[in-house]
Amino acid sequence: MPQLDFSIFPSQFFWLCISFFCMLFIMSRFIIPKTAEMINLRKNKIDADLEEAAKLKQKVEVSLQKYNEALHKATEEANLSILKAKEELHQTIERRQTELNNELNRQIAESEKMIATTKKRAHEQIDDMVTEIVPEIIKKLGFSKISAKDIKSVLESNGD
Amino acid sequence: MANPMEQFVVKPLIPIQIGGVDISFTNSALFMVLAVVCSTILLGLCLRKRTLVPQIAQSIPEVLYEFIHSLLKENVGTEGLKYFPFIFCLFTFVAFGNLLGLFPYAFTFTSHLTAVGSLSIIALVFNIIIGIKKKKIGWLRTFLPKGIPLALAPLIIPIEMISFLSKPFSLTVRLVANMTVGHIMLKIIAGFVAALGIFGIVPILFNCCIVCFEIFIALLQAFIYTVLSCIYLGDALHEH
Repeated sequence: MPQLDFSIFPSQFFWLCISFFCMLFIMSRFIIPKTAEMINLRKNKIDADLEEAAKLKQKVEVSLQKYNEALHKATEEANLSILKAKEELHQTIERRQTELNNELNRQIAESEKMIATTKKRAHEQIDDMVTEIVPEIIKKLGFSKISAKDIKSVLESNGD
Repeated sequence: MANPMEQFVVKPLIPIQIGGVDISFTNSALFMVLAVVCSTILLGLCLRKRTLVPQIAQSIPEVLYEFIHSLLKENVGTEGLKYFPFIFCLFTFVAFGNLLGLFPYAFTFTSHLTAVGSLSIIALVFNIIIGIKKKKIGWLRTFLPKGIPLALAPLIIPIEMISFLSKPFSLTVRLVANMTVGHIMLKIIAGFVAALGIFGIVPILFNCCIVCFEIFIALLQAFIYTVLSCIYLGDALHEH
């Protein structure tokens, strides 16, 4: 069995040492540093990107919180404004309604006053006409004379 | 049928003798050098165009790097990362040795006790140096764990020494046995191709399946060799 031939040991050992240590030299000088450099570069880049992402996330969270706060504040202010506007509107409506009622009452009062005056004047004119017509009628009917003074007193007593 | 063991014969290509010691450049040495050259060229080509978002080619050395990195971190801890190049080379060297051996007419140096044994000896010496460097004289505690009565020392020390020295041996035998068996099986089945004539297609197809399986075994054995080396490195660095 050639594997058990130990006479070749010095040659095998010698060339293995030379090959292996040459390989160790080449790998540790060229291949491993080049590979490690790229892996570390990538790792650093990924770490930096992750860090940047975390920072941006934090920034976004702060912005979101600020936005929510602003939104909350704006909602509160808007609600307050709506309430204020409602109250003002109520006050205006009430004021306008009061003014309108007053105006209507005034106009009603004026109209009633005018009606009363017109009515009074109409009565007076009727009375005057009656006072003038009634003696003439009585005279034409042939009854005794009735003075205007009597007719007036009768009308006044009826008017009461 | 050709002898299936013939493929494991080490033949000198350039005879060299220094001080009476034969250190000829053999076919085994050629494939060791090829493993280094191929791995360097392949990984170098993959790393030629490096981008932040890796291409498929760039992913190969990166996946290999991450894989060995996590292996070391899990088995040895962060202090083991100092020895990353050594473990990285151990895996790459064994994996390329195993994979190159699967090519027709190629020589599998990882199927030789002397070659893999040499690598295990290097790993063992490396572990011893690291252990002594870290624990100083306390490294000798490896052979007499804490809490063992001194009276038992004559019994425990030889056992621990055998256990310590058997680690590289078990590493070597495991890898060599796997590689040898796989290649013998390929050779034997390939021998049936010519003998069966038209039905030779059956062993060819079977061999294709075994080659795929052997690729998996080649990488798996390199992985096991590396994991165990990591564990032994962890033992050298940490207390018992």
